[in-house]
Amino acid sequence: MGERTRQVLPSVLSVLLALAVCWLIIAFTRDADTATRAYLQMLWGGVGNWPALLDGGSSTTVLRPLGEAAMKAAILTLTGLSVAVAFKVGLFNIGAQGQMIWGALAAALVGAHVALPGLLHVPLALLAAAVAGAAWASIAGVLKLKRGVHEVISTIMLNWVAVSLVDNWLVIGPLRAVAEGHQSSITGTAEILSTAQLPRLLGDSSRLNLGFPLALVAALGVWVWLTRTRAGYETRAVGLTPEAARAAGIPTLARAGGAMALAGALAGLAGAVLVLGTEGRYPGSLGAPYGFDGIAIALIGNNHPLGAAVSAAVFGILRAGGTRMQLLGVHKSFPELIQGFALLFVAGRMVWLAVLRRRREQPTGEQPTGEQPAAEVPAAEVPRA
Amino acid sequence: MSLEDASLDILPGELLAVVGENGAGKSSLMNVLYGLYQPDAGTFLMDGKPVRLKSPRDAIARGIGMVHQHFMLVPTLTVAENVVLGREPTRRGLLDLNRACAEVAATAKRFGFQLDPRARVDTLTVGSQQKVEIVKALHRGAQVLILDEPTAVLTPQESDELAQVMRGLVAQGRTVVLISHKLKEVLGVADRVAVMRRGRTVAVVRAAETSVSALASLMVGEGSRGAALTGVPATSAPGVHDSQGEHAGTVTAGPIVLEAKDLRAKGDNGRPALQGVSLTVHAGEIVGIAGVDGNGQRELAEVLTGLRALEGGGGTLLGGPLAGLTPTLAKARGVGHVPEDRLARAVVKAMTVEENVALGRHRQPPFARGPWVDFKGRRERATQLLATYDVRPPDPTVALQALSGGNQQKVVVARELDAEPKLLVVVQPTRGLDIGAVAQVHARLREAKARGAGVVMVSLDLEEVLALSDRVYVLYEGRVTGHFPRKDLDERELGRRMLGAESDHG
Repeated sequence: MGERTRQVLPSVLSVLLALAVCWLIIAFTRDADTATRAYLQMLWGGVGNWPALLDGGSSTTVLRPLGEAAMKAAILTLTGLSVAVAFKVGLFNIGAQGQMIWGALAAALVGAHVALPGLLHVPLALLAAAVAGAAWASIAGVLKLKRGVHEVISTIMLNWVAVSLVDNWLVIGPLRAVAEGHQSSITGTAEILSTAQLPRLLGDSSRLNLGFPLALVAALGVWVWLTRTRAGYETRAVGLTPEAARAAGIPTLARAGGAMALAGALAGLAGAVLVLGTEGRYPGSLGAPYGFDGIAIALIGNNHPLGAAVSAAVFGILRAGGTRMQLLGVHKSFPELIQGFALLFVAGRMVWLAVLRRRREQPTGEQPTGEQPAAEVPAAEVPRA
Repeated sequence: MSLEDASLDILPGELLAVVGENGAGKSSLMNVLYGLYQPDAGTFLMDGKPVRLKSPRDAIARGIGMVHQHFMLVPTLTVAENVVLGREPTRRGLLDLNRACAEVAATAKRFGFQLDPRARVDTLTVGSQQKVEIVKALHRGAQVLILDEPTAVLTPQESDELAQVMRGLVAQGRTVVLISHKLKEVLGVADRVAVMRRGRTVAVVRAAETSVSALASLMVGEGSRGAALTGVPATSAPGVHDSQGEHAGTVTAGPIVLEAKDLRAKGDNGRPALQGVSLTVHAGEIVGIAGVDGNGQRELAEVLTGLRALEGGGGTLLGGPLAGLTPTLAKARGVGHVPEDRLARAVVKAMTVEENVALGRHRQPPFARGPWVDFKGRRERATQLLATYDVRPPDPTVALQALSGGNQQKVVVARELDAEPKLLVVVQPTRGLDIGAVAQVHARLREAKARGAGVVMVSLDLEEVLALSDRVYVLYEGRVTGHFPRKDLDERELGRRMLGAESDHG
């Protein structure tokens, strides 16, 4: 109980502190009233303008914002899970962006060029995206396990390889859609078939689609896998103490490689949700760095699958609402700033706790054997560099 | 921890060696002198005046320098930068590298060291790095220099050179205190030798008036232990009594579970650690592996559990070949392992006690049901084991790191024995445990043997080896230098073999 609070509290406090700091920044550059109204706009933009609805407004005032928030939350959940899963086995996956790019491309191609009934088309496109992401992540995984190449370096570099290959060549070259009739110019790949579109769940007034429940199921699935299955148990053991895992007969390489592939598959799914749910094709450039956001989402979510889902929901709401801040002349990038501050505070708070604990231990004269401290900082989850 | 009423006089300008077995208190005593440990009782006089050293900073200020066994150098910095670290010469607030180099070069020259102050430390040999450590201490004005096991990491040639360095320092009026357990070396260089045993200084002798074997018997402390040894019944070990039959036709307790021939393996540093070790273990006996730390015992245990690859040799282990053994394979054949470094090898400290109880057997009942973790079965088994082995607190849901070291070890022993291994490899099973826990672990090892397991026990504690073993192999520099059935166990002879004395039949 107390342990769970310890796990959750720092993230909650960090987000709140980040919100407060950004409010102060707006208040200083503008005035307090604007800051408060901008935050209110952000909230209405994220969860819907409930007061307006209760005053007799149309249901769209709630459904549209919720749909936007859910759509963003779904993608952030998946990339956040990607980073969190790799963390669990002790690897730092900076490459969710690149894996997502390949997943998006695979989904776009299967969606556009394979003719199937809807019941099969969506799963196939999702599968293709997962496989593509997993394959891209596995390059870094194999380099790490066979040659000892540090995964932070290889995944960062593979991100740029993915951008160069896909955005700068394939989708403006060989895979570019041919303009038809009235279209004078188009960018990106061909439009996906309607059978491949993720079904909208709330009709046309909201962009909420199957991607959101899919992401929640993925989060739940990863959590169950990690905590309830032998394979998940082995994966966590490898991440926490690799030598002990090896001595216990756990196939450490297979587990690390498997977790990295799963991380890639989740990032690939994020790309698929983006393409099949909202974009409808691989656009000229994928744009939003959801893959990089996944790092922040995972860390703020304490590398817990469900924590990542919650943190993705929070930032999905803030981001969906962020555009509404512009109505008051406040820049729409504040949600990202809030996310950045929250990440900073989560990281800083771990240091702070460690310092506090050391101060508390010294006067009691405990022997510094390094074996006693029961209190656990989430820092233990951070992979060794 | 390990000092009881130890006294030591250090005379100015002498080379004093402190010898003793592992755990005799040599390093503890030196750490007191260097201000790292505070004595609970007793006094420390310098030049006749009582002194309290609260930290190494105090010790350095009073002219005491220490060269640790593991060097305290920053590998990517140069020699000069390392030497001046903490008291850098500055010019207008910036590090004055030229002056640092000049100063360090002057110190090195004064004491006859050949060192390039601008060389990066990680490009130097281990021997030269050690010289950097010595120069560092001298540069800070050390009059008394403590060297902790300085030759442990050196080649014989480097050791000879170090001996000359030490004599040179003494010739210049410095005092050198040398901690070692290499007796031959000590006698070649020291003026006086202090012998420590169980936290006490039992003798101080002039090097010229003693011999290796005299020192060895002082170190081991004959008499007292012989009595303890006979006091321990050789719990139901039938056989092992054929006096010439150590190599062939031994009457034994059970079938052979391990037959290793000419094992060769490299250590972590890439140097050969096992250079042709042959040994046999039968079911129902405890085979002790004695030796001074770092003579291949750890590597032997790792080879037997599949953690270290063989470079040569082979044999059979529980019906399969020893070559190509992996941890998974070893586990499947019934090898249990209580490793030396518990936190790195045996447990995942951030996981709960019950998760650690399952580690290694997590794929089989009662810990798993198909691909799923069996929470109920795991909880039941863990609770039962915690009660049987008296682990405190008996709560399977706490993180393992919340337990004390002794209780963590009990969890490891409980887990390994619960798997009913046919061969149990234990390394330093009682290191750091209190007396009660030690007795319990020993009782469990005897139980395993009574149940018919073959037990290989590596221990640096000779007393432990003598108390439990049915047979003992002595390792020295990766070779077997002695093999004793229980009735021939003679600790003086064992001690001689541990220090590399030649054997008649090993």
